[in-house]
Amino acid sequence: MFEHSESVIERIVGHLRRPVRIDPAIDGRVMEEITRNPPPSVSGAARAAWHWLARPRQIALSPLGGLAIVAGLGALVLILPGRRSREAPPAETAARAFQFVVVAPRAARVALVGDFNDWDAARTPMRPSQRGGPVWTAVLPLPPGRYRYAFLVDGSRWLADPTAPAARDDEFGPPSSVVTVGGS
Amino acid sequence: MHHLLRTTSTSLLGATLLGTAAAAQDPRLERLDPRVRPLVASVIDSARAAGLPTESLVQRALEGATKGAPGELIAAAVRRLVADLGQARNALGPSATPPELAAGAAALRAGASPAVLAKLRRARPQTVTVPLAVLADLVASGVPVDSAAAAVLALATTTRDADLVEFRRAVERDIALGAPPGMAVSTAATAAYGATGAGVQLDAGARQARPSRP
Repeated sequence: MFEHSESVIERIVGHLRRPVRIDPAIDGRVMEEITRNPPPSVSGAARAAWHWLARPRQIALSPLGGLAIVAGLGALVLILPGRRSREAPPAETAARAFQFVVVAPRAARVALVGDFNDWDAARTPMRPSQRGGPVWTAVLPLPPGRYRYAFLVDGSRWLADPTAPAARDDEFGPPSSVVTVGGS
Repeated sequence: MHHLLRTTSTSLLGATLLGTAAAAQDPRLERLDPRVRPLVASVIDSARAAGLPTESLVQRALEGATKGAPGELIAAAVRRLVADLGQARNALGPSATPPELAAGAAALRAGASPAVLAKLRRARPQTVTVPLAVLADLVASGVPVDSAAAAVLALATTTRDADLVEFRRAVERDIALGAPPGMAVSTAATAAYGATGAGVQLDAGARQARPSRP
């Protein structure tokens, strides 16, 4: 029983130990098959587009067309941000609160009149200081510009602002002052 | 005689209607003396027809009325302002805004030439209201008009409105401290240009020794 089994095993082992004969042309055939079928990662359309873009070609261009292209490129350079040699100051139109102050001793009431309130003494009464002193103030929002104004004390006495430039073209007798309000 | 009476009546009626119509355009003019109101209203109406801004004209008339000035004086002041506004528009161009024209008229009245206004317009892409106002203020403070114009022209290209106003304040401070006006504007302009990294060229008469502050 054992002898029979051993002979069978020896025959199997002998068969497995025989060298396998391989066709010497198999390498060539395998490489030929690989070349014939490229990997499927790049689609055919993309490959065709790439070939179209990469293929050298000649372009005919008229002088007028060339000038148009140069002009377009020049305009593009000019309108690029930050290319201007001189920065324009920003537009300034917002109104700013402006305080007017006048010293008027013994005044019972003081009004601010000017180009900003139609020279109407009733529109902008000034407020006396809280301590009851001679300082009167008024605060107005004013857009940038130049305004003529004056102070009217007790409805009859005119005062120019001693801290502001005088209006040069005062044709009406009582002096006026001018204030220039700048933007932010 | 009858024809003369009819012509006179027609003229008076026309003038009255014209004055009434013009005055009706701005109710604020009701504050003017009724005798001068039609005249001022027609001047303002003519300015409006010529494309000039009318707000500064109304304000000038109201200033005269509030100060109790004679009607003839008010009408003359308004007429003169119309002429200044027209000259300012010629110098600044048809696209000038009403505030620019008002400031330009003040600068012209202060003694600036129309050429200075035109140069300022070319030098500054943005509004020139504040530069023109500062120019007028500087002249009002005693700065020679040529020095003031040179300084404002030099600064206006790159300087903000608020900095121009601050520049004017610096000039006024130095004048109040005793500096000659021409020197004060030169010193302040140089300081302002120092902040912007550029140089300033004023007339030689404006360069004098700076007095010490108390």
